Order: sequence, then structure tokens, then C-alpha cells
Amino acid sequence: MSTTPALLKPADPADAPPEPAAPARSVWLRVRPVALPSGSLLLFLLLWQLLAASGTWSETLVPPPARVWDAFVDVSTTHDGIRGYNGTTLVEHLGISLRRIGLGAGIGVVAGVVFGLLMGTVGWVRSLFEPWITFLRTLPPLAYFSLLIIWLGINEEPKVTLLAVAAFPPVAVSTTTAVAAVPKQLIEAARALGASRWDVVRDVVVPSALPETLTGVRLAVGVAYSSLVAAELVNGLPGIGGMVKDAANYNNTPVVLVGIIAIGVSGLIIDGLLLRLERVAVPWRGRA
Amino acid sequence: MSSSETTEAATSADTSRAGSVRLDHVTHRYGRGGETFTAVGPVDLTVPAGEFLVLVGASGCGKSTLLRLIAGFERPTHGSVRVSGAEPRPGEAAGVVFQTPRLFPWRTVRGNIDLALRYAGVERARWPERRAELLARVGLEGTERRRVWEISGGQQQRVAIARALAAENPLLLLDEPFAALDALTRERLQEDVRRMTERTGRTAVFVTHSADEAVFLGSRIVVLTRSPGTVALDLPITLPRGDVDAEELRGSQEFAELRAQVSHAVKAAAAA
Repeated sequence: MSTTPALLKPADPADAPPEPAAPARSVWLRVRPVALPSGSLLLFLLLWQLLAASGTWSETLVPPPARVWDAFVDVSTTHDGIRGYNGTTLVEHLGISLRRIGLGAGIGVVAGVVFGLLMGTVGWVRSLFEPWITFLRTLPPLAYFSLLIIWLGINEEPKVTLLAVAAFPPVAVSTTTAVAAVPKQLIEAARALGASRWDVVRDVVVPSALPETLTGVRLAVGVAYSSLVAAELVNGLPGIGGMVKDAANYNNTPVVLVGIIAIGVSGLIIDGLLLRLERVAVPWRGRA
Repeated sequence: MSSSETTEAATSADTSRAGSVRLDHVTHRYGRGGETFTAVGPVDLTVPAGEFLVLVGASGCGKSTLLRLIAGFERPTHGSVRVSGAEPRPGEAAGVVFQTPRLFPWRTVRGNIDLALRYAGVERARWPERRAELLARVGLEGTERRRVWEISGGQQQRVAIARALAAENPLLLLDEPFAALDALTRERLQEDVRRMTERTGRTAVFVTHSADEAVFLGSRIVVLTRSPGTVALDLPITLPRGDVDAEELRGSQEFAELRAQVSHAVKAAAAA
């Protein structure tokens, strides 16, 4: 009876240490997803500040973070009787650009889906258009922008067209591939139930291609986004890309940086929303 | 002369009945030009309405091809296929259950059944009632809202059977539908299919490589030789049908004898 506590005793100190350590570890695991990204952001701001303060480059080239913040406040508000940048606030610039992207990418996506469906189902249509779409896809949007200016002038038309042309190929290509890869077994199952050709397209081909098509849409919006500054190179004000271009003309680096950050952050938010839409719209992804 | 005319009229009347199948000198080849492969034939086979025919044979004997010909997915290279007296077309002649469930993953259990009801031309107002009836028939009450990947393999195949029954075709074609299921689920589904076809008087053509399954299900068994598949054995099964104890049936002497006979015939046909 007296042996039992004697046997237990030496085990006690060995058991004790993990107890306080385990919660600390689990807390770290929980905060890590937030801690690491914000830590890297802080580190970046610190390095930026140090670099600007070191005086290696002039303030015109590398303004310190505080000056960029001031520029952000300036272009977001009315100060000294001047409204934002060039009479338009940052949010309005962004809104106008987002409208162009919405319109342009929207047209590109719709055209891409229509072409993708046709090319995926009809062999000769694919042979006819595929080389052209591949050619278009390899072109940087700036390459055809000049042509669009000659043809369409300098107002909204060339900008929206540029974004549409840039967004079209990724959607067309992903939809074509997805449609061509629709499981023949499911088409046969639908036909065995009495589906007509059109029923098969609507009830099997389209839903089966949807996950891939949505991935194409996300790619397309990304491409349109990265073409934004190019689209607003000429007569782009008001517009966030136009603001960046105009500020660069005056070596106004803080405003250029504000514009770049605004484009980047809004792009991230839009991609996040599209990813969310994908999860809600196609819960069967990967389960077929 | 007049007697031969009457027999011919009688036969044609019989094989034009809803649900009946008739194969005349059917041969089927895959491929074109020099690279052809004869999968089936020549086969002559008549399946009267109401019969439960099981096609048995080793893998590669063309039994699935034969089923695809009856379903109308393929046309025979030679000979003629008639279902209910007409050339078969997919979605018209027969309900088909495949080896895998082939359910549409973007639709729920209910959505899969509804699609079948729509293709079958059932008016929308009658869907809820028909849907409940079909699900009850395969023992799946209460699963309507489930996603098809959330239910078990056996339940998925039950949905596939309910879907194939939606059009109330007089002929049901089943291509090794239970091959991928565990033994327990397979036996339960065999019992359900046996009972269901008996109650509704449907014709069924069931493909399998299992002698056990064939003897349990069939009212007639046809064993096919290896490729090209031709009829090696045509055996009527006289085991009791109707309300029988499945366990008792499987354990009976007669069942064991028939299973041995079919198993032997399949092996002999595969070796030939």
C-alpha cells in the first residue's frame, strides 16, 4: 500500500512540464494565420521606413510611409478647396475604374462562355477559332491598345474594349476545355432517361463545365485588373489607373503608390469574393 | 402454308408486345477498316414480355455490348434489334441502370429524380407524388435533400434505379449494377430488384458475371461464350418467385445445383 505513492512520485515531475506548454502551443497555432501576415507587413513597413530614412535615394524616388499616408488622406478628402486628386476622390477614381472593369470583363466573360460552349461541343468551330484565341492570349494588352485608340477614339470605348479583349481568352479556353471534358458517361445517362440534345447541353454540359468556367472567370478578372493601368493610359482621368499615370507625369510618387496599393487591395477583395462565389455556386467541385 | 403463316403472325405479335426484346442474327463489330473487333454475334434471342433474363459470361464476352444494343446506344453491324417491336432509341425503349450510379453531382437526390420525371414527360404537378413513390420503392424515404456524394454507394445505386424507373418503361436494363457494392448491400438490392420486377411485371435484362446473382434473379439465364459472344447455354430457372424467403431460397438444394450448373457453363464457355 505504501509502494503505490512511491511508484507514482517519480512520474509526477515528468508529467508536469507539458501542461503549461501545451496551451501556449495551441494559442500560437491559433494566432499564427493572423500573426504571420501582419508581422510580415509590419516588417515591410519598417524596412521601407529605414530605407527612406537612410537617404540612399531622394524622397521623390522613395517617399517614407508617412508621406504616402498623407497622400492617401489628401486624395481621399477635400483639402484647401481641392477635392481628392484632380477633382475626384480616391474612392470615386476606384469606382469609375471598377465600372470599366465590370463592363469590360463582363462582356469578355459572356463572349468567352458562348465561344467556349460552341468550341467545346462543335469540333470544326474549335479548329476554326482556337488558333486566333491562342494568338490573342499571348498578346500583351498594350500591344493592341494603340490600334483600339485609332479605331475607337479616346473615350470609354477603347478602354472597355481593351478589358473585354483581355478577359475573353481565359474564359473561352477554360470553358472549351471543360466542355470537351464532360464525362461521356453522364451524357449517356441523361440520354438513357430521354433527354434531348438541348436537355443534355442545359442539364449536363453547362453544370459540368461550370467549376472550370468559374476558374476561368477569376483568371479573366485578374487579367482585366492587371490591364487596368494600360487601359487608362490615354485620357484615363477620372480613373485609378489614370490617376497613377497622371501622378507619374509629375513625379508625384506618393500618389502613384497610393494608386498601386488601392488597385492591389481592391483586386484582392474582388478575388476573395469570386472565390467565395465559386464555393457557393459549385459545391460539387471535385466530387463528380 | 396457312399454319406457318399463323405461327409467324403469333410470334411477331408476341415480340411486339411492350417490353419484349428480339435479336435476329445480331453481330456487332467495333472499329473501322482493317482494325475491327467482333464483340458480339451472331446472336438470336427472344425475350418475351415479363421475363427476367440474366446474361452471364466472363468479362469481355460482349454482354455489355449486347445490353448497349438493346438500349439503342449502338446499332448492330448486322442483324436487327427490336424492342417492343420497334428499333430501340435511348430514352424511349428502356430504363437503364449502369455499373456505376452515374448520378448528376450538381443535383440533390430529389433533383436527380425530378430530372428523370421531366424527361419522361410527367407533368410538374405530379412530381412530388411520383417522386415519393419512386423513392419509397427503392427504400430511400427521407433522403430527398441529400447531396448525392453524401450518401453511400448502395444508396446512390438505389437512386439510379429509382431514376431508371421514372419513365415507367416496360423494359429495365441493368449492366452489372451491384458489382461495386459490398456483399451485404448487394444481396439486399438483389432481393429488392427481384421483388420489384415481379410486382410490376416488367421485363428485365440483367448482365452479370456472377452465377450466384444470375440464379437468384433470373427467370431465365443465358450464358455467353467468350468474344465474339454467342449463346452457349439457355436455361429456364424454375425457382419459386413471388413472396419467398430469400435466405431459404439461397440455402436450398435446388439453388446450389443451378448455381453449380451455371458456374460450370460459364467456365466452359470462357475456355472455349
